[in-house]
Amino acid sequence: MSAPLFPCQEIGSLQKPSLEALGEWEDRLHFLARLGPVPEEVLRHPDVATLQNLRAAFAIAFLESAGLDRVYDGEARRVEMYEYAVRQMTGVEFQGHVRSWDSKYYRKGTVVNPVDLVAPYHLEEYDFVRDHARVAVKLPVTGPYTLADWSYNEYYLARQPGWKGRAQRRAAQRELVVDLASKVLRPTLRALIEHGCRVIQIDEPAAGTHPDEAPLVVEGFNEATRGLDAEFSMHICYSRYQDLLPALLEAKACRQWAWEFANRDSDGHDGYEVLKVLREYSDTRSIGLGVVDVHRDTLETPPLVAERIGRAAKYLGDPSKIWVNPDCGLRTRSLNVAYAKLEAMVQGARLARAQAEGRSA
Amino acid sequence: MNAAPVPVHAGLTSPFPRSERLITATRDLDRRRTTPELVEKAYVEAENELVTLEERLFTNVTAGYLRWNDLFRPIAETWGGFSVGPLTRWLETNTFFRQPLLASPPRRTPGAIAARLPPPLASRARVARVILPGPYTLLKVLENRSDVPDVDLLSQLGHLLAEEVRELNGSGFGVFQFSDPILVTAPPEGREKDGVSEAYRSIAEANPSATTIVWTFGAEAGPALPLLDRLPVSVVGIDLTDTEPETLRPGPARLGLGLGIVDPRTTLPESLSETVGVVREALRRRPSSSVWLGPGAPLDLLPARPAEQKLLRLSDVRHALLREGIT
Repeated sequence: MSAPLFPCQEIGSLQKPSLEALGEWEDRLHFLARLGPVPEEVLRHPDVATLQNLRAAFAIAFLESAGLDRVYDGEARRVEMYEYAVRQMTGVEFQGHVRSWDSKYYRKGTVVNPVDLVAPYHLEEYDFVRDHARVAVKLPVTGPYTLADWSYNEYYLARQPGWKGRAQRRAAQRELVVDLASKVLRPTLRALIEHGCRVIQIDEPAAGTHPDEAPLVVEGFNEATRGLDAEFSMHICYSRYQDLLPALLEAKACRQWAWEFANRDSDGHDGYEVLKVLREYSDTRSIGLGVVDVHRDTLETPPLVAERIGRAAKYLGDPSKIWVNPDCGLRTRSLNVAYAKLEAMVQGARLARAQAEGRSA
Repeated sequence: MNAAPVPVHAGLTSPFPRSERLITATRDLDRRRTTPELVEKAYVEAENELVTLEERLFTNVTAGYLRWNDLFRPIAETWGGFSVGPLTRWLETNTFFRQPLLASPPRRTPGAIAARLPPPLASRARVARVILPGPYTLLKVLENRSDVPDVDLLSQLGHLLAEEVRELNGSGFGVFQFSDPILVTAPPEGREKDGVSEAYRSIAEANPSATTIVWTFGAEAGPALPLLDRLPVSVVGIDLTDTEPETLRPGPARLGLGLGIVDPRTTLPESLSETVGVVREALRRRPSSSVWLGPGAPLDLLPARPAEQKLLRLSDVRHALLREGIT
């Protein structure tokens, strides 16, 4: 029997709840039961490790309760996707914050020496999720191209001779991406697989930043995954995907594209039309379909989600290729809004499934 | 007879990064951990510190446009016909802007842009640089859901920006920079070229005595230079970190040359001697009546501290050129 259509997954981050919020959510989710007995005093004044465990258990229960088929821990142990990874390596120093948009910022590092790995990372968090989740697990890990693009490249650029123009920047960037992929990412991915991790999402939100560098995104992905056996996907967002094709299709080990679409699907603008391009290239990989906008509080309705899924299925020509997810991590939304969006997403997927199978939901 | 020395101007060409203190304040406001009054105080302090630094280093001041969430937001939020749309990547960077959505023919709201200029500029209008989106870039980033065809819309945007120039000029402002990177990242073709010229003609006619700068960055400027040279502006700005100086050709004598010479995509400090050499090479290839130095791409791609270092280097380059003289 074939698997049900339109399974649901998350993409990554959730807002980190305060102790007070954890208490409120415990009444709904009963996530503490997953941790075994925790003394009341420890719950009132947890140390950092305990608080991280509480948040991870909460996130797993939160995502499972919303009805997802694949979960993780909301990146509860990571400062954020760039800084956490960079702190696991040598060669990078932090300079300060830069703005991503409005009053959202991230801390940006400068590569001052050759990059190298201190020790494989995400292992402890993966072990915890594996041991506490009741459904399948998908681990997000920041990809080499994004780590390079979000850093200031001093060391590799300084080695380029003369005035540091466009050609010198490109050459330096390639050296950095390849070093990150081979020295940092691949050993980490190998260790994760040895711990039993089977589904790994390589996050490359920077992939669309310089469309003509799409081959370098692919080179980084292939270098990072070379010789490894797992179900790899690539998450990209806020990009013109058609500009990255067909170069992206050379990502050999990638089995799924997890992309953002809902952000651009409004008021008569079809955010999913680009999927036709994948069909034109006869690309057979599955698609992680972004159906809820993670940057607005406005709640998508289940019928809207179902309509988006149906439209995407039509463009792809094969509904079985679709996994349903938010556009991106939900960390910028309040937990209440994030939960409501996930619920709408799951209900929408259910509705789309019923429609595809010719029955009522 | 000795040729007259070429005047060398310098100044910011984009919003400046928010300081770490201001970042904390704006984040705290998002998280309801502080009050709007305290954030306003942080803005005022940061603006005053920056404008003091600019007055010491440069010929123009901006006060950093620290309150602007993106280059287009003041227009998207205040001009009629516009609303604020989805998060969209800003050129080849990891920063995003809210796409302006245009539902009906655009209408200017008198006084609205003036009210959003950094407050310290009001008392420094004579040396202030007003930074606005260029008409072509504004056209290309917005989503046009109105029934106005793009070519006509370009002309209308030019007229509206000209109205802004006229109004601000009435308040004493005399230097207007139009940030128009898409002129080089995706140069206009066919009728759009004429549309760009017409839009800038409207702006020039709004006040012929004002200094108008078209500032480009993000790609090699060479292919767009024939068009840029035809624009009725005072200064054409190109980013030397994207354009090889060897590719420059002579332009009209009336045009000043803007040169982006510090790169906000790396914290690596520019070499003073190399940068002075590159400016000299650019001027040898393209002699000009005036030089306007600045960061190429927006400096708010850097954190505040390294951005300040870049400003100091920019000033060093200007002083080296003034010391050695260029003719």
